[in-house]
Amino acid sequence: MKKILCMAIALMLALTAIGALAETTDLPRNETLYFAGQQWGSVNSWNIIGTNQNNSMTIAGNSGGYRTLMFETLYMYNFMNGELVGLLANDDYAWNDDMTALTLTIKDAAKWSDGTDVTGADVARTFDIGVQVGNNVGTGFKSYISSIEADGKKITINAAVNADGQPVNPLKVLDFLTGAPIAQAAWIDTVVERNNNDTVSILNDPGEDVVWSGPYTKFYADDQKVVLVRDDNYWGQDASMWGKLPVPKYIAHAIYADNPAGENALKAGEVDVCQQFIGNVQNLWLEDGLPISTYYEEAPYGVCLTMPTAWYNFNLPVLAENPALRKAIAMAVDYDTIIANAMTNQSPSFADVPRSLMNPTEGEQALYNHEEVADLQWAGMDIDGANALLDEAGLVDSDGDGFREYNGEKISLNACCPNGWTDWQASMEVVAAAGKNIGIEITTLYPEWDIYQTVFTNPNQTEYAIYMWSPDAAAPSNPWQRVNQFMGSEFVGVENNWSGNWGQYLNEEADALIKKIPVTTDTEELKKLYTELTKIYLTDVPSFSLMYRPSLFHAVNESVWTNFPTGDDGRNIPPADCTDGYGIAALYDLELVEG
Amino acid sequence: MKNTLRQVFHSSKFVVGFVIFVAILLTMFIYPLFNPGNPLEMIGVGTFARPGTYFSLYDAVKTPTETLRLANADDKRLGKQLSDEDRVAIVAWLSAVNVNVEGLDINDTEALLEQWRANYDPSVKPKGMTQAKRNYYKRLDAALKEVDAADTLIIADKNEEGQLEQQGTITKTDYVNVGQVANVKTLPLGTDNFGRDVLKELVSAAGTSIVIGLLAGLVATLIGLTLGLLSGYVGGICDDIIMFFTNIFTVIPGFVLLILISYSIGQEQRGAAVVALVIGLTSWTWTCRSVRSQVISLRNRDHVNLSKLSGHSLVRIILTDILPYIASYVVMAFILQVSSGILAEAQLSLLGLGPKTTEVPTLGLMMNWAMLYSAHTNGSWWAYFPVILTITLISFSLNLMNTGLDQVFNPTLRD
Repeated sequence: MKKILCMAIALMLALTAIGALAETTDLPRNETLYFAGQQWGSVNSWNIIGTNQNNSMTIAGNSGGYRTLMFETLYMYNFMNGELVGLLANDDYAWNDDMTALTLTIKDAAKWSDGTDVTGADVARTFDIGVQVGNNVGTGFKSYISSIEADGKKITINAAVNADGQPVNPLKVLDFLTGAPIAQAAWIDTVVERNNNDTVSILNDPGEDVVWSGPYTKFYADDQKVVLVRDDNYWGQDASMWGKLPVPKYIAHAIYADNPAGENALKAGEVDVCQQFIGNVQNLWLEDGLPISTYYEEAPYGVCLTMPTAWYNFNLPVLAENPALRKAIAMAVDYDTIIANAMTNQSPSFADVPRSLMNPTEGEQALYNHEEVADLQWAGMDIDGANALLDEAGLVDSDGDGFREYNGEKISLNACCPNGWTDWQASMEVVAAAGKNIGIEITTLYPEWDIYQTVFTNPNQTEYAIYMWSPDAAAPSNPWQRVNQFMGSEFVGVENNWSGNWGQYLNEEADALIKKIPVTTDTEELKKLYTELTKIYLTDVPSFSLMYRPSLFHAVNESVWTNFPTGDDGRNIPPADCTDGYGIAALYDLELVEG
Repeated sequence: MKNTLRQVFHSSKFVVGFVIFVAILLTMFIYPLFNPGNPLEMIGVGTFARPGTYFSLYDAVKTPTETLRLANADDKRLGKQLSDEDRVAIVAWLSAVNVNVEGLDINDTEALLEQWRANYDPSVKPKGMTQAKRNYYKRLDAALKEVDAADTLIIADKNEEGQLEQQGTITKTDYVNVGQVANVKTLPLGTDNFGRDVLKELVSAAGTSIVIGLLAGLVATLIGLTLGLLSGYVGGICDDIIMFFTNIFTVIPGFVLLILISYSIGQEQRGAAVVALVIGLTSWTWTCRSVRSQVISLRNRDHVNLSKLSGHSLVRIILTDILPYIASYVVMAFILQVSSGILAEAQLSLLGLGPKTTEVPTLGLMMNWAMLYSAHTNGSWWAYFPVILTITLISFSLNLMNTGLDQVFNPTLRD
């Protein structure tokens, strides 16, 4: 018995030693840029035309722009100024007069990793296979793009047209330019062939032999770490693109168990760029004196592009039939506490940026008439106003139990968000507290994520009354896309609905206005349409935003690398984690901290 | 009875435990009288305000002042803005922008600041200097400008035309008596992540947790006692069946069972009482087993047999001839059950399976939220340490009482 025990211990020691040896094959620190907060769990596949890759470092479409480390889009979106910067394609793209066709050319220098030219045929094939197999590119754009024609390096994108011959949505065509990663036509053919043209197997192909065009490619990936290595033959070092290679040789992302683990790694200097919400992030430099900084030195520290929103469930009659109830709850919520607590002030307040359908960037704020809707806006914590509104609507407490009734029944609602999403949970606590103040019973409910996601995307669910989700942040098609998500009818009744209108709100008037926007080019007319929509939204209150929030968090530790983009450096590189959209430009300017 | 009590209170362990427990109970009842209101009220906007006394700056400005000339006031003021590390950092900046720092005395504030004012330029970017460091210098510069600021601050308000008009001044020697400021709030334990008064919440949570513990203990003891008595006294097939279930429950780890049941109940149904009930329902087994074994040794005693011969009913025999002999044991078991009930609630809540959060504070929920907001890594000790201390004190006092009772009632331990 003793012998066996001894042997077991010896075996364990030996294994530990091997483990320690493996550890020592670490990447050179001053050639590696470490990330946190992007990749959770190990990579499933490198198949750019597949689905469910769980490969966030290379295959991830964020609303801040596509992540172009390995696979590239035609253009890079810069949400700081709304510009489309040419990547695979030349800067100039042109619409024809009735906006039914968009023409552009691929850069002459653009090459695949196997040395062949990137051509228009690759773009066309990428779109076609997407539609055929129904991957993200296909399902995302097939309603807006009818076909893509290629002629050598020249591309014509034909917009889908409706019965009147008008394009369905030119804005979504622009989204294709920045949101669709281009795959090589020849490689797509290989994949199709080896999977016998079977949709499911094409989508699930591991894609280990994938051909890429970006500056990095896979080095290794396991359940601990994902590492990309620079492709020193990258075409982008041509003067027509960057003129040089990105600075870090390796891009590494350790797979952390949870947010605190990633945050601790950032504090310890093991992570350079951290895409995680860090409460009271300023304490890292003010109190702990760490070399950590954010895009802006002062609150809100980042660029808020989206608005996490509480949606009312219109399947519940009490909510669907009582606009006064919807508005009263929204008016009674203490948003300052939410912003101070949940966001630790990393968000402008609703007093600074009054609520509307727009995110707080200047460009979007200029799109509606502020005076016209001023009377409809609310800054929160208006208990008297909310009570008056409810009394007036006849929602009173007639049996004296402290809670109001509707049709003789106590109004009792739940406020839900996924368990463990602490900032959202804190928000729901504040919403529940608001209910208490106006005689509406609101209890919080935090289901696990697996359960939550199946319920809130179900168009017929009646389990959740008030629940949280964020509309899209920034893309060429915003703010239209966000408005559509708030009130558009196209998402109503859609099974497994991840796209928008999670409360199933229907308003024909709003719908008509939403349909007009994509084909309107006149700024004044656009402003009128958006103002009208804002009025409807603030009157009907189908949902209410709880805070403004960056779509990506961007905190950097300058122990090893420096010269990250900041708000005042004049470079106009967005705080998109040095990876997304035009944010990748940051990688070309990084410097090592000396000494 | 009187004699027993006297004996019990002679045990120093019991007395210490009892005193601690009563002190906690008294605090629970007395403190809310001084600090009434809803313990879940979010008074602070923001997370984790430090413990201390807060007074309204707005009111303080309007409070009559006294002039105090304190010798070291300026030094203190400067020390707040310019620490020793800051002095070193200033020299580092000066060297980075190629200023000759030889002969510059780091403690000579005047000379140091003069050099700083002459050479600091926020737009300069010394080679290799990180953004974080440059931001630090920006803040330092702003702080030093405060030091240099004029001796008086001007209070201004908008007049009818909307222009600022001077209303008064504050000089460096103006002091106000805190007692005269209209709004002063002492937060002995600061605020938590929701901006709630931690002490107030803690007192209320301790109450809830004790109630949960008592309820859980009561349920567990009642079930354990009833089943143990039946099983031990009746015996036979009844004993077999009861022991069958008891063994099953003993084999399955209680806490796992607790987690599974709490999870399947769902958060909406999980009030404090339900959680207490669940804890009670999963922790009765060892009470049952011990009661049973004691009853088995009792059931063949002469007085029990006499009762049987006299034709007394089952219930009467159990209540009058058996229960009194194991009463002291049951009380001790109950105390331990209460203690473990409180701990179980804390453990469950820490996992996010405790009572729903909007209704009452409990010790476990306070720990849960403190952990979710990383209070342990961001240095906000006041949000969790007092909670841990309270839990420890409660279960320590209960266990101490139990040990004390054991010494009195257990013949093998009796002195």
